[in-house]
Amino acid sequence: MAGSTSGNAVVDWIGQYRENRSATDILIDLGPFLMLLILMAIFTATSDVFLTYDNLVGNVMMNSMILLFVALAGTFPILQQSIDLSVASIVSLSGVLTAMLINDFNLGILALVLGILAGTGVGLLNGVVFAKAKIPSFLVTLGSLSVFSGSALLLTGGYSVPFNAPAIRQIAIGQTIPNVPNLVVWGLVFYVLVSLLAWKTTFGRYTYALGENERVADFSGVKVDRYKIGAFVVSGTLCGLAGVLLTARITSATPGMGQGLLLQSIAAIVMGGTALTGGVGGPHRTILGVLVIGVLTNGMNLLGIQSFVQEIILGFVVIFAVALSMDRDKIDVVK
Amino acid sequence: MSADIDTADRDAAEGPDSSVRFRVENIRKEFTNVVALDDVNFELRTGEVVGLVGENGAGKSTLLNVLSGIYQQDQGRIYVDGEEVTITDPLDASRHGIAIVHQEHNVIPNLSGYENLFLEQFPDYSTAGVLDSNRLKREGQDVLDTLGIDLDLEKRVANYSFSDRQMLSIAKAFTETVHTDHPVILLDEPTAGLEEDGRDLLFDRIDDLRDHASFVFVSHELDEVLEISDRIYVLRDGEVVDHLLVEDASEDRLQQSMVGREISEGYYQVSEQRGVTGADTAISVSNLSMDGAFEDVSFDVHEGEIFGICGVMGSGKSELGRVLSGVDDPDGGSIAVGGETVEPGSVHRMVDNGVGYVPKERQSEGTLLYQPLRVNVSLPSLGTDLVADEVPGLGSVPWLIDFDKEDEMAEGVVDRLNVKTPSIESPLIQLSGGNQQKVVLGKNLQREVSVLVMDNVTRGIDVGAKEEVYRILRQLANDGVAMVFIADELPELIGMSNRIGVMHEGEMVDILDAPPGDKPTESEIIKEMI
Repeated sequence: MAGSTSGNAVVDWIGQYRENRSATDILIDLGPFLMLLILMAIFTATSDVFLTYDNLVGNVMMNSMILLFVALAGTFPILQQSIDLSVASIVSLSGVLTAMLINDFNLGILALVLGILAGTGVGLLNGVVFAKAKIPSFLVTLGSLSVFSGSALLLTGGYSVPFNAPAIRQIAIGQTIPNVPNLVVWGLVFYVLVSLLAWKTTFGRYTYALGENERVADFSGVKVDRYKIGAFVVSGTLCGLAGVLLTARITSATPGMGQGLLLQSIAAIVMGGTALTGGVGGPHRTILGVLVIGVLTNGMNLLGIQSFVQEIILGFVVIFAVALSMDRDKIDVVK
Repeated sequence: MSADIDTADRDAAEGPDSSVRFRVENIRKEFTNVVALDDVNFELRTGEVVGLVGENGAGKSTLLNVLSGIYQQDQGRIYVDGEEVTITDPLDASRHGIAIVHQEHNVIPNLSGYENLFLEQFPDYSTAGVLDSNRLKREGQDVLDTLGIDLDLEKRVANYSFSDRQMLSIAKAFTETVHTDHPVILLDEPTAGLEEDGRDLLFDRIDDLRDHASFVFVSHELDEVLEISDRIYVLRDGEVVDHLLVEDASEDRLQQSMVGREISEGYYQVSEQRGVTGADTAISVSNLSMDGAFEDVSFDVHEGEIFGICGVMGSGKSELGRVLSGVDDPDGGSIAVGGETVEPGSVHRMVDNGVGYVPKERQSEGTLLYQPLRVNVSLPSLGTDLVADEVPGLGSVPWLIDFDKEDEMAEGVVDRLNVKTPSIESPLIQLSGGNQQKVVLGKNLQREVSVLVMDNVTRGIDVGAKEEVYRILRQLANDGVAMVFIADELPELIGMSNRIGVMHEGEMVDILDAPPGDKPTESEIIKEMI
């Protein structure tokens, strides 16, 4: 009985969905799925190892998780039609802070908490300067990117900070659930939490509203500054988390450890279907973009494609995937 | 009334067939779930001005978009000079001599007048990629001289007045269709936003240009349509329901055809107007000033009272509304709501104190067009415990959204304000202007409001929807809500208000009583406005 009711609910939901979406909308919704399926089909056909549990979980998922955190982080400012360019530098900064707190001050687990809070703090700083001083987020975070990565270099003198703490390493690579590395569990748990944050909370709702039309939200009495700052706090916190987990995984931190994550995360966000013009998409979709990049990188490694060539192919796939997932009808002018 | 004019009239109206410049037959256009145009027949003869009227969502814009090549019809044929043509895009339309002048004039502000005039033809005016500006200026001036339009083409369009931009857009319609000697020009609500002078000038130009062009004139202002048109088509629900010569038309007849029924007596429901003697003061404004906008404005509005504010453009009435709603910060004076002084300059502070705001620009200030109706309705009420009594709160945890209760709230607005929408999940862009406006009103009523500030609440919505908005406002007044009712339309202002504050050059020069049965006349008010 209960089964049939929920079955009906699904049918209702699909019916309502189709009523309100045009054929192009549906194609765009499915675009990143299609992309992922195509890539997986190609690699399944060309490589024996690709479609094995060990490869999919141990390599594809495991290697995508840090990017997932950073991409989830960047989704919130982008949904609000802002952008956080400092994500990768926050990963580096909180990573080296964590490593130094473990190494030099022996803080252990507490170091991890402080590393995350450092991310929250610099996110708050970004948000306050952006919302209160009314400086475009692009410029605020372009500047803070430099400040944060410079600080990471200054703290470490440019060297990496290794440490010896097997217990901390287990947080990332241990297997509390058999055959599933903890890092993957962390990633999926936060994926669900962050998706709920966007879908079910006032903060999430106002994030979409701000992205579509801030003036309308303002005129409706929404405390817009609070939610604009909130997006950067969420972004900073998730990047802090990414930095801490990456540090735990490799039991070392370098001031350049976040390198490459900024562009990859923006590509993942947009491929997932969150437009840079704000208001549409969401973190629940960002994971698709992350997996496209993860599957592609892994597949190309398996096929033994040279890493310089990989970079070129990745670029083409990003452009193609964005073309599939973007609703150009709703954008007046593409710039 | 039958949709066709009878044969005698038709002959008289049409004259010889050869003069038919442009004709469409059995046009049908469908969008997802909506038939926007159904079996529309329409023609335009050389030198004619044809009026096109209808409520919001009746299909006027869709028809113009089909004619100008922005949309393609699903069925039906288009004839230009008796020959069937297919119009694939706007450029194609201009090749066939059809050009559209949009409400938001399609000019680029940071270019000069003559550059705008020939924007599409730059390749024809350049040698090896270098633009021949002198030739542009010369030929631009020639075009203006032929059309009898007076503009400074050297100026950047950003420095043009609204009316000048419109004249430039009309001249541009001629340059776009330069290869036909008699273009068809579609004017989409050209008088919206024009002052009296600009309107007169526009009508003079249209009259003079009959030798050069034919016009389709779309407007919500029926008196204007009657003044300028030779023939009038009335659209309702995507069909031509009436087609008549201007001699046979009257505002009443047009309104009836548009709405499909007779407008009920007491349009403004004046008999419902509440007396407010002895009622408590809901909002009190003292010595409010904003530099460059208004000076030393003071008034009180009582519970259940509708306080009208009028004035010409630039009198400061809209700015006053923006300060009362918290959008703008005043330079002096104070606002008290329910006896307590509220620090101005923030919308959310005003909202928290029970002041709702219906802004003037519905689309850019009032609605999230691509979000569902449900989301628009709950927007001001999320995460607050100030939700109005009759709707349940949105959940016990303020930062979590209870979707069931949100649905209930949205359904409530749809029922109570009679919003026509496919469902509460429909994005607002799928609704007509009038229904969008009801949503803007409705979302403001989901929180405890004691004061509602409205700036031209019925702007750009049709007769039927207006009547419903008036009904809703009367009901709100009955519930004790005080309203600041800023309006450009005097009959509406007079009909709805208990008292009327007249603004002139930033000062509130008079406050007139407007009790039922003893309303001031339009001329009495105009005298004080200017």
